[in-house]
Amino acid sequence: MPGIDECLLEAMALPGARGAALVDWSSGLALGTIGESPVGDHETTAAETAELARAAAEYESFACADPGPAHGGGTGPVDPAVEDLIVTTRSGFHVLRFVETSFDSSVFLHVWLDRAEGNLAFARIKLRSLAEGLVLR
Amino acid sequence: MTTPATATNAFAAVSPLLTRLAEERATGALLRDRGTLFLEDGRIVHAESPATPGLDVLLTTGGGLAPERWREAVDRAGARRQVARFLVDSGGLAGGELEICHVAAIFDAAFFALSPGSGPSRFRRGATHWIGSVRSVPAAAVERETRRRRELLDAVWPYPLLDTAPVVPRAAAPGQTVTARQRILLDRADGLRTPADLAWLLGRPAFHTLLDVRRLAAAGLVETPHSPAPPPVEVPLPDWMTQAQSPDVALLRRLRDALEASL
Repeated sequence: MPGIDECLLEAMALPGARGAALVDWSSGLALGTIGESPVGDHETTAAETAELARAAAEYESFACADPGPAHGGGTGPVDPAVEDLIVTTRSGFHVLRFVETSFDSSVFLHVWLDRAEGNLAFARIKLRSLAEGLVLR
Repeated sequence: MTTPATATNAFAAVSPLLTRLAEERATGALLRDRGTLFLEDGRIVHAESPATPGLDVLLTTGGGLAPERWREAVDRAGARRQVARFLVDSGGLAGGELEICHVAAIFDAAFFALSPGSGPSRFRRGATHWIGSVRSVPAAAVERETRRRRELLDAVWPYPLLDTAPVVPRAAAPGQTVTARQRILLDRADGLRTPADLAWLLGRPAFHTLLDVRRLAAAGLVETPHSPAPPPVEVPLPDWMTQAQSPDVALLRRLRDALEASL
């Protein structure tokens, strides 16, 4: 049963991984962090990536407004139709993967990869399995 | 270089007692009017506040965890103080999910427990919580986050009255986007419910609801109150909170030791 720390450790095992975090996009809280932050402060990075994730998760053009068939509306969790976000910079990659929980939450995994060593396609696949592992019973 | 007095105040410790307890690596419960922080070796392992929905509400409202499973865990593992472990081991909840929900609940309750109007602090050395060990957070991180949250609310829309007043929705402007999460909240805002009421109803952390309401007000989707809200009604602490307090074991041990020493 992997917890937050195990999940972040595995993310750091990705080739070229420089830092990783589990962040709540509603509040900007870092639930767990590991490695480096691009700005030297994980809490600042969490607040900034949360703004980006919130925009993607909430705007209708990305996140279709109608709840998925599994939830059928009600007060249950809103299906995060957005799976992941990728930001490429001259020196690195950022992959943000949304985590679906059985309760109402707003959490994503963020991994920062070195551009020369990182493999974007592999990172995406790995983050998907890590996000699923966090909620696996 | 000297810092101006105002800046010093802004960066003053949220709770000097908490800072000291963390330095002492203390174990016990820090009790304040608006909530309780549980420490173990100076790190915060749990927090609860009458202003925030507890783990039970957060986990069961969405239907992810059946209320019966929560009750079963409290009944069977509460006395051993291993409710969290029981929930995960019995397959009721994923380990990662529990950690996510628990850490969110700690920061949520701490925000209210450490709020400026939360009154004097008392510390019950040795007290522990029945939820058991999940994950711990450094006290300094909780203080930093609490300060950041206060600033964030005012940066979004500086009207603190919104935090306690009933939420009154306003019609969206033509073409204005209302997101799915916002719509769920607005649908349940009947003009009487406060952000705290909505937090319970939706099974969302109380701070998240305060923040969402401020964002909605800033977007013109919720009325911004201009007169002071009526004082909040005093709600007595629910039984599960008061009954959860264990006898002061540390004090009893000291008494026993003193008695034995005098024999």
